[in-house]
Amino acid sequence: MADAAVTAAAPVRPAHYGSMSRDRRWAMRWSYFFLVLFAIFFLTPPLYMLLTSLKTSAEISAATNPWWVFAPTLENYVALLTKNEFLVFFRNSALVSVCVVTVTMVISVLAAFSLARMKFWGSATLATGVFLTYLVPDTLLFIPLFKMFAWFRDLTGIELINHWWTMIILYPTLSVPFATWIMIGYFASIPKELDEAALIDGAGWFQTLTKIFIPVAMPGIIAAMIFSFTVSWAQFLYPLAFTTSSSELLLPVGIVTTLIKGDVFNWGQIMTGALLGAAPPLIIYAFLMDYYVAGLTAGATKG
Amino acid sequence: MADVTAPNSAVLVQSNRSSLHKLMQRKSTIAFLMALPLILLIAILVVYPAGYAIWLSMLNKSMSKFVGFGNFEFLFKRQTFWDVVFQSCLFAITAVIFKAMIGFVVAHFVHNIPSKGQRKWRGMLLVPWVIPPAMSTLAWLWLFDPSYSAFNWILAHFGIGPVPWLGEAGWARFAVILVNIWAGAPFFMIMYLAALKSVPDQLYEAAAIDGAAWWQRIWYVTLPMMRNIIAITALFSLIVTFANFDITRVLTSGGPLTATHLFATWAFKVGIESGDIPLGATVSLFMVPILAVAAAFILRDINKRGSEV
Amino acid sequence: MGSKVSRRRFVGGTAALSTAMVAAPFVRGAYAAGKISIGFWDHWVPDANKATEALAKEWGEKEKVEVQIDYITSNGNKLLLTTAAESQAKSGHDILAINTWLPARYADQLVPVDDIMADLIKEHGAVNNTVEYLGKINGKWLAIPATAGSQIKGPCSRIDLLKKHANIDIQAMYPAGQAPKADDWNLDTFLKAAEACHKGGNPFGIGLGTTSDNVDTIGAIFHSFGAVMVDAKGEIVIKNDQVRQALEFYKKLMAFLPADVAAWDDASNNKFLVSGQGSMIMNPPSAWAVAKRDAPKVAEQCWTHGFPKGPKGRFAPFLPYFWGTWNFSKNQSAAKSLLRHLSTAAAAEKMCNASGGYDLPSFEKLTTFKVWAEAAPPKGTLYHYPNPHNHQTLSIAAAPAPHKIAEQIYNQGIQTQMAVRYFKGEALEKTLDWASGELEGFMRN
Repeated sequence: MADAAVTAAAPVRPAHYGSMSRDRRWAMRWSYFFLVLFAIFFLTPPLYMLLTSLKTSAEISAATNPWWVFAPTLENYVALLTKNEFLVFFRNSALVSVCVVTVTMVISVLAAFSLARMKFWGSATLATGVFLTYLVPDTLLFIPLFKMFAWFRDLTGIELINHWWTMIILYPTLSVPFATWIMIGYFASIPKELDEAALIDGAGWFQTLTKIFIPVAMPGIIAAMIFSFTVSWAQFLYPLAFTTSSSELLLPVGIVTTLIKGDVFNWGQIMTGALLGAAPPLIIYAFLMDYYVAGLTAGATKG
Repeated sequence: MADVTAPNSAVLVQSNRSSLHKLMQRKSTIAFLMALPLILLIAILVVYPAGYAIWLSMLNKSMSKFVGFGNFEFLFKRQTFWDVVFQSCLFAITAVIFKAMIGFVVAHFVHNIPSKGQRKWRGMLLVPWVIPPAMSTLAWLWLFDPSYSAFNWILAHFGIGPVPWLGEAGWARFAVILVNIWAGAPFFMIMYLAALKSVPDQLYEAAAIDGAAWWQRIWYVTLPMMRNIIAITALFSLIVTFANFDITRVLTSGGPLTATHLFATWAFKVGIESGDIPLGATVSLFMVPILAVAAAFILRDINKRGSEV
Repeated sequence: MGSKVSRRRFVGGTAALSTAMVAAPFVRGAYAAGKISIGFWDHWVPDANKATEALAKEWGEKEKVEVQIDYITSNGNKLLLTTAAESQAKSGHDILAINTWLPARYADQLVPVDDIMADLIKEHGAVNNTVEYLGKINGKWLAIPATAGSQIKGPCSRIDLLKKHANIDIQAMYPAGQAPKADDWNLDTFLKAAEACHKGGNPFGIGLGTTSDNVDTIGAIFHSFGAVMVDAKGEIVIKNDQVRQALEFYKKLMAFLPADVAAWDDASNNKFLVSGQGSMIMNPPSAWAVAKRDAPKVAEQCWTHGFPKGPKGRFAPFLPYFWGTWNFSKNQSAAKSLLRHLSTAAAAEKMCNASGGYDLPSFEKLTTFKVWAEAAPPKGTLYHYPNPHNHQTLSIAAAPAPHKIAEQIYNQGIQTQMAVRYFKGEALEKTLDWASGELEGFMRN
């Protein structure tokens, strides 16, 4: 371990600072020590979810050592994965998330390009103001939204309440501001010479965006996409408020409202559901995290 | 500005188009059109309903009469309201400070270790932020359960009596804040890690040559370089934490008594559960000015710094 | 084809005119009469939903109406939220399970069902005062008391533990198949038993959070002291000796309860019983049903019985659910027909059977189904659950205050909050001052 550290450090600076490498070795040991400590803190609840999901409800009620599974079983997984309802939640959540990510990226890339590069009357205010939309919490908005939806229905005959796809309209309000902000930061970091050259060559603004900015800003775009996905997968209040039928629920709300039955918590299944619900974002992060960090590095630090 | 538009208009003159087309080709018009979806989204789904909520907050309980600031006056006289104000501030400020500190420390440690191992650690430490909070809070709820608490099971082995995790005001506040820190700290970690990576190594080398101790390097090099990102992340987190609904809702529903009610949960209690929608709207409205003040401070700081550089 | 027939059948007279006018521009509206949507309460007892589903489907087939059912949990107040949402949006289910206090809250938007209630009362006997207080607003029945979900939250005790710690033979007091012999079962014996069980290491599990189980229990005890906080005219009368006595009683009782009862929700007491720690909880038989599944040894020792008697009588909490239909529903006549179908004696019995005896019809003549006498183990454990001998007065916390006040007393758990404050060492008068401040806040219009 220590060796690796020295070699990693070597190309950057000359190795003859003896005191420094000793310093670093100690710093390293402390780093690992604290990282293990924090990993325990961060991973205990998910681990406990996993343990509980492998228990039968009789074992859970028996109040024996909760940190051990005496009779592991997959019955909770089987029960959930063969339940049509649960698969429907999963499908709804996946569709909503994919659509929300798409919508978010279209809106925020266009807006960020225009705010970072083109400027118009009030664009500076808007760039700051976008972030401030988070000041208006969703708990304040959902009741007025009911009234607006009712009005919209009376006007057009389209019912927005109790449909999963309504979330595709609502979630961007939560994902777009942050995504736009990351993209503004990222676009701002692209040298001006690049787009000036493109414009002189006769490219339109839109072409400049699609041919130059989007390819260059790909890490930022991926970071923003992952962020939007996380937000839309996890959102709780809007689907809780706006959907009731079991064919229209999204995963987190579906698990909380169909598996928790007031008096009779079925903890094995609840934890299984929670774990399965957490799986897609976990998988996505496992594969795309490098882009996420890279995108944030460039986008966030310059915003 | 001018030098960028010049080549653009040169292109226009050559191709001889109608005046409407010219307008459409003008940079500011295109820019506005590109930002239009964003403007519409925010105007229709945030600004308009927020205005509607303000109007709602000025109606009486049955929503049949305009009462002006009557609901606000009513709230100011309620002890519970001031408790909620205090708790929300306590909750948000404590949680954000700890999230920021833990995030900073962990980011530093991850940054310290060889880059080969960083991926793995980063992945593990990001897990709490990735799990939907409504799901992970269920795991905490189960860990805190009065009859089956797995924490108390461990503590019992050390002879420590059952801790009423959610049963006593102090413990319950601790538990709610703890879960929030748990869920939010990784976000800070990842943002800080991103910022740390953008600090040029030369600065550290220079500091090292000057004989700076590790804390001096952090204080004089790292922190100033990360100032913006710390401010923005803290602001974002402060807003989200202050308006938190799901964690508190699932964990304590505001109890015991009203010891862990936040603006959002209390607004829900008053507005939905007790059927007083205007009063609920009034309660949630209070979040906006408090947050706006915080935002103004933090953003002003950033802008000042931005113009200096 | 089918939809045409049913439309003619259901949409008649003026209702048809108005419905058609409202519905005309919409494609949806054209099928309104052939379709009905129901939001039932999502039952806690596993598989109990099947009874309501079968009944609704059976009706749908007979009447050629497409039935669409949603089961909405009351957990986390999702049902409450749905009701509020539908009322605000003026659209939603044609029949909705209406929570205990909501007929009054949504009085302006619910369709009166006096005609159905008159027939049902004629057929099944009278309903208790609590149901009438909650469902009949300003002389009009606004919702039908639902069998599914309605419950008495009486004590469910551990036979063995009560015997061991408190020397009480609960089966002798409440023998299966016979009238109770419980004259000695009063608040003093109750308190002594609580103390003995606490000393024995198996305390009573009576929650003091602000959720319904906790509020229901304290409500019944307040009633048995005759403690009224707000009277029927809406006057605050909280500073009276009965309220003080009730709080004193709770202060004594809480010393014998687990330390964290102030944070208990509706599931905590169940878990406490199922885990084998508790010797008594106040709950409908869902806890017993779970124990039967997960901890059969515990279930064998459970006995559901009546409340202890207080100075002003013997009160048990009754928590009815209702079924109602909105005045903006496009299919009110179909809804009413289905409501009748769900309220027959046969339907009620089906629901009671499916829920293992949990569900409780509100009508006098429907409290002696076989399911309660035969539920086992131990046999007869639920015999006294539906109050078959009219041994106790069925009540609800905060009655007889006007609904809009009572509802908030109930939902915010003012009584449990008072008990906790006083127990934690606040002066009694200060607690009463605090409560009366809260009550004044509930007077808003």
